[in-house]
Amino acid sequence: MMERDREESVDLAQISFRTLELSDVDDVLVWTSDEKVAKFCSWEPHSSKDQGIDFIQNKASEFLWGKAICLNDRPIGFISMTSATDKSREKSAELGYVLGSKYWSKGIMSHVVKQVMKVAFSEFPHLDRLEALVDVENVGSQKVLEKAGFQREGVLRKYLVRRGKSRDMVIFSVLSTDL
Amino acid sequence: MSNLDLSKVSLRPFKLTDADDFLLWAGDDRVTQNLRWKTCGSREEALAFIREVCIPHPWRRSICLHDRSIGFVSVYPWSGDDRCKADIGYALAADYWGHSIATKAVKMAVPQVFKDLPHLLRLQAFTSPENKASQRVLEKAGFLKEGVLRKYTYIKGNIKDSVVFSFLSTDEFPHDDC
Repeated sequence: MMERDREESVDLAQISFRTLELSDVDDVLVWTSDEKVAKFCSWEPHSSKDQGIDFIQNKASEFLWGKAICLNDRPIGFISMTSATDKSREKSAELGYVLGSKYWSKGIMSHVVKQVMKVAFSEFPHLDRLEALVDVENVGSQKVLEKAGFQREGVLRKYLVRRGKSRDMVIFSVLSTDL
Repeated sequence: MSNLDLSKVSLRPFKLTDADDFLLWAGDDRVTQNLRWKTCGSREEALAFIREVCIPHPWRRSICLHDRSIGFVSVYPWSGDDRCKADIGYALAADYWGHSIATKAVKMAVPQVFKDLPHLLRLQAFTSPENKASQRVLEKAGFLKEGVLRKYTYIKGNIKDSVVFSFLSTDEFPHDDC
């Protein structure tokens, strides 16, 4: 079953974005309960529907902008932008994204990121900079950003602690003037 | 000032009695241009700033020469899950530039900061790409340059690139040959 899924290519025209609804909880749990997906995220894999509901009702609305990535209107991932609280960083936003592992390596995420880059600078014209932080070991995600046109700026050593371990993070950016 | 004695440079908490000395450097645009601080305009403002900001600050020290304030070093730790990192900043009276005083101050601050902030793994600093002197301070103090972050900071109406440096709790302190 897994091999057949992996051979299926996805028609990128069927990819869309929308707000998550409570009725999406089962689709959300597909990626939030997946250890492969959670590995480089700040959260532990979800083990109950309540956690999925909590994400949809509470966490998903905390972002500056956050939408489900949908294939034929069914959520397969999530993409968001967060703004910093510091006034000196008010013209920057940080991009975060997650995709169900069955959909990896099909060019979906870089297609999505390219579209969201345009949305970011048109819907938030005060923004000059969109940045993303990726674990040094998360090569797949680094490739997504490079393909989407982000510039790699450097490695921030021991920038955060995830599940008790300090992690080096690669920092990437795209500027409104890059587009 | 060719015989400036670096052994007379020290770090200590700010006191209200520093107000006049504070105004001399914090009232100078050359010193505050890269800081988020507004240039200090009067003795009253200096007193208020020392009382309301410097004294309650999580980690701020006056850089002193013969116990007179000539600048500052500040470390601002992030909170919650991010308390593994902290931001270091510093500034020095323009008359004292070019004598490795800021380097000495940062070299004195770093080991003390790691002692005082037990969760700290990473001390980071952001400088303007044009501010070569400040970059040299960090390099001489043993910080590693990690990259240039484009249009990272918006200060005093200007969007600027930032050069990011870090010193980890596991990094080696440089030899003392300021």
